[in-house]
Amino acid sequence: MSSDYDRPRADPDATACSYTDYETTDHATGDVPATGDDAEGLAREVWAELYTVEDPEMPVSIVDLGLIYGLDVAGNEATVDMTLTYSGCPARELILDEVEEAAERVDGIKNAEVRLVWSPDWSVDLVTEQGKEALREFGMSLE
Amino acid sequence: MSTTNADLGEPTELSEDEQRAVEAQLFRLADDEFIQAERYTFWQVRAPTLESDLAVSNNAQDELGHARLWYDAIQQLGYSEESLIYESDPSDFQHSTLVELPFEEGDWANAVVRAYLYDVAEDIRLSALEESSYEPIRDRIGRIQGEEEYHLEHARSWLERMALDDDASERVQHALDELYPYALTLFEPVGDVEDDITNLGIRSMSLSEMHTEWADRVESFLTEQGFEVPTDAEPATPIGRDNQHTDHWHSLHEEMTSTYRNLGRNEATLLMDEDDE
Repeated sequence: MSSDYDRPRADPDATACSYTDYETTDHATGDVPATGDDAEGLAREVWAELYTVEDPEMPVSIVDLGLIYGLDVAGNEATVDMTLTYSGCPARELILDEVEEAAERVDGIKNAEVRLVWSPDWSVDLVTEQGKEALREFGMSLE
Repeated sequence: MSTTNADLGEPTELSEDEQRAVEAQLFRLADDEFIQAERYTFWQVRAPTLESDLAVSNNAQDELGHARLWYDAIQQLGYSEESLIYESDPSDFQHSTLVELPFEEGDWANAVVRAYLYDVAEDIRLSALEESSYEPIRDRIGRIQGEEEYHLEHARSWLERMALDDDASERVQHALDELYPYALTLFEPVGDVEDDITNLGIRSMSLSEMHTEWADRVESFLTEQGFEVPTDAEPATPIGRDNQHTDHWHSLHEEMTSTYRNLGRNEATLLMDEDDE
């Protein structure tokens, strides 16, 4: 395509990496955050593993931080919609990897994928009561 | 201005003209934020106090995060991170020349004035993108606005304090006279694609409308602090948006990409590869 923006184009035949796949959804559907309260079966087990993933800087689960916007389990595939507290988060790759690994620890889940979403925006209001309690114990000042 | 434009749909659904206009908007967002961040990092151990070191480092990290959000959106259109950053020619970049100028050690007023002029423009641009007809732009705005609020507050509070000191005011005034013409390049067009950006509802305000609002806000605040705003200035040249840059950019680009080239890289390294344990 001829245009004013002639940066080198990506190879159209290149194999897409999972990194690219993270970005194919920008907007979460449904109420956020999702916490898996009414999940059953395999999904419930995935939620249990997600709860074990903590923020790298604070002893609080990423689920209680309100970062998980959705979980979809289809067959042996899990898709997690998730946001981050901060757009410049330096632990981005680390957290995304940990979430995928957590979901894949469940017997019956072969492949897990995280889709990073930025809307609706995250704020401290999305932290669950349990999460707020953990943060207070850690020494953070919260209402 | 309200827009009645239809949603442009998924990245893969864009027509050639739509994609060209979306890219034109995304590239300036990404490049401005990226280079502004890169220059801020100069101050992270040189600002007047430890608190200001931390504040400016944090602002740099925010801008890098925002640049990443915009480059991610560009990647959905078929570009790779390597091609966008490390393998791009310096003249492919379209940031305003305001953000590429180097800082002189000790000239903190210059950093504060630059941040202020840039952040007001950024604030106006983000508002004009809130209802964008392109969802990947629309969906990123809220997060970025929340973080940008602090940048504006930081710049304004420094200007208010510096206005109270004779020596500091003089340096602010000097920086303002120097940087204002460069800040005007933020509102310069990249080419005839500009009309499509507003006609397609990608952005709700024209460059000239954004310029007018910016000039009013900047003049009103700075005049109140006792500064003289050079409102009759013309945009500095080169203007950046047309891919023409100052020599400072070429040396900065050389520096930014030197490790990638020296190590013979052909892919960008992430903090942690996905296959790592």
